[in-house]
Amino acid sequence: MTNDHQGGESPDKNNHVNGERDNPGWAENPLFVRVFLLLLLIAAVLAAIAGFIPEFQKKHPHFAAEKIPVFFAVWGFGSFMFIVLVGQHLRKLVGREEGYYDDRE
Amino acid sequence: MTTVNSPLMALLMNPAVILTLGALVMAFAPSVVRRIGMLLVLAISAWQLSALGLGNYGELSIFGYDITMLRLDPLSRLFAIVFHLAAALNIIYAWHEKNRVQDFATLAYPAAALGGILAGDFITLFVWWEIAAITSVFLVWAPGTRITYLAGLRYLSIQILSGVLLLGGIVLLFRETGSLAFEYIGLRDADGAIKFSALVIFLAFGIKSAFPLLHNWVQDAYPKSNITGTIVLSIFTTKLAVYSLARGFPGTNELIYIGAVMTIFPIFFALIENDLRKVLCYSINNQVGFMVTGIGAAGTIVLANGVTVGAGGAFNGAVSYAFGNIIFEGLLFMTLGAAMYRAGSSKALDLGGLYKFMPLTLSMCIIAALSISAFPGTLGFVTKGLIIDGIAENHDALYTWVIWGVLLFASAGVLEHAGIKIPYFTFFNTGHAPAKRVFVKEKTPAGMVIAMIISAVLCIGIGLYPAPLYALLPDQVQIADYHPYSAYHIVEQLQLLLWAVLAFAALILLKWYPAEVRSTNLDTDWLYRVPGRGLIAWIAGATRGLWNGAWRIGMHHFERVMSRIYSLHGPEGQMARSWPIGFMALWTAIVLGVALVLAFVA
Repeated sequence: MTNDHQGGESPDKNNHVNGERDNPGWAENPLFVRVFLLLLLIAAVLAAIAGFIPEFQKKHPHFAAEKIPVFFAVWGFGSFMFIVLVGQHLRKLVGREEGYYDDRE
Repeated sequence: MTTVNSPLMALLMNPAVILTLGALVMAFAPSVVRRIGMLLVLAISAWQLSALGLGNYGELSIFGYDITMLRLDPLSRLFAIVFHLAAALNIIYAWHEKNRVQDFATLAYPAAALGGILAGDFITLFVWWEIAAITSVFLVWAPGTRITYLAGLRYLSIQILSGVLLLGGIVLLFRETGSLAFEYIGLRDADGAIKFSALVIFLAFGIKSAFPLLHNWVQDAYPKSNITGTIVLSIFTTKLAVYSLARGFPGTNELIYIGAVMTIFPIFFALIENDLRKVLCYSINNQVGFMVTGIGAAGTIVLANGVTVGAGGAFNGAVSYAFGNIIFEGLLFMTLGAAMYRAGSSKALDLGGLYKFMPLTLSMCIIAALSISAFPGTLGFVTKGLIIDGIAENHDALYTWVIWGVLLFASAGVLEHAGIKIPYFTFFNTGHAPAKRVFVKEKTPAGMVIAMIISAVLCIGIGLYPAPLYALLPDQVQIADYHPYSAYHIVEQLQLLLWAVLAFAALILLKWYPAEVRSTNLDTDWLYRVPGRGLIAWIAGATRGLWNGAWRIGMHHFERVMSRIYSLHGPEGQMARSWPIGFMALWTAIVLGVALVLAFVA
């Protein structure tokens, strides 16, 4: 056990007291999720479009990439995808059982 | 310049000494007045700082060596201010705690880090460097378990190793320059060859700022402390090291590459880590990486007094980002700490769905997340841009465009682990949350809430109105021309971040985002915790065996010698026999005869 030493009062997973459940909140409302995603999409598209407007472009770009209007959008999206889709395989290399160091120290 | 003749006066005028003495006195105060007293001590120290103003103080000559215990210039002032701010926030956050030793460390450890920041010479720096190591280990030990005891020892060994290297480097450097002044060092000499003395000091700073492969003491020690201890720890040691690099090695190109690696690799470890406090510890590595890159890309100027200091946009960026990071990363730790205080765990799989119960903490967490991701309108935006632009303008480094691309990639990475993973898994993701959340503690303490609100106000306030922060930066010429809210800067940043968030949404909707797993992820600490430990155990065993063998062989010889002596001198031995009187008379006659013959010959 490496990290779980904070008094050990971890919440009880099976705590269904008489089948009681918390009421779902606003973030679990499908309408909220849909509206949030829609707003996010609109904002992202607007930011990408803004990249084409000359007033919103850098006057003296340092790199050729900066001249591409949607470079930052593509780079941000691609980087995030790469980090999550490729990064998760690191677990195969370094992942061990939770109590790994307990038996060794 | 003020020269103080009395060493006592020189000590007492130092804010770091005021804080240390205050910590000692307050450690004995009853808990009712202790926190108010600690805040008062901080206020006195801050007042003393502003009363002193820029300059060198506490200059002494000890054994013929010049010591400057206190140097206040724009660089050290910036760090001194944010250290006071952070220490005050930590004290307020931990208002509900009653642990005397921890309270002492909560003030004495920042005091030591402040002393290092203010040190004008290497000896003073070294002394505070070590005091910071020793006072902070009490925070690692605070939970008082065997696991934290071992982690504390590992932490202390590494911190002391850094101190020993620093001392060694100081001695080597003093032999070369004959000066103990803590000024620009530079890694290379005029011919471009690496100076050994500088390299040793560079390594000492590198351990404390957690360079790649030297980074893992952060993740090993920090998350093992208790809630408030981790927050205090997360701030001071690495930032003292960042300051030291900014003082000693601005414009050292190697730092660009080291920093770039630092921004990248923690992203992947943070992605797969289930313990969110550990995620934030990887985030410290990543954030310090941005600062280190900025210091490496900095320019240098020579002041009127012949001292070389860092300058330029990247330098301003690095130090202002250190300032900002202390506030917004601290706030992330605080909001996670508040969630942990109530829900009893800091693991992604135990949290989730807290937004219904902790709406205020949630909003503070989102402000911190936006800030660390550098959304326009936040403290992160007005400081991080300086570094990225500084890199683009640096033409000394090889492949500047690669480094620039790496920093943008790493910015998407920050958004992933600090901007999204922390708030999402703490407050939203209901997938793992129990159907009925049972809290360990029913209320978030008022101190926690107040500290979080102040931090959040700073994140937004400085983000919207950065002028007061900019006025404190070392290179005023550069910052006068800098306008963070230019149209293209906002558009570029929004494109980068919004499309990265969109990627997250797509990954969640497609169910491609990896599920959290309860696990221990190996990192470089494995080397000394498993094979290193095995090696030491083996060496100890081998030494014991050798010693026993040598002892046995030695004892065998010793016993033989003793038995021969015994046979000669023992009660039954030749030399102990009683000799007949006649034999004695005969010998006397022989000796006399020999004497006569000798006398005659002579």
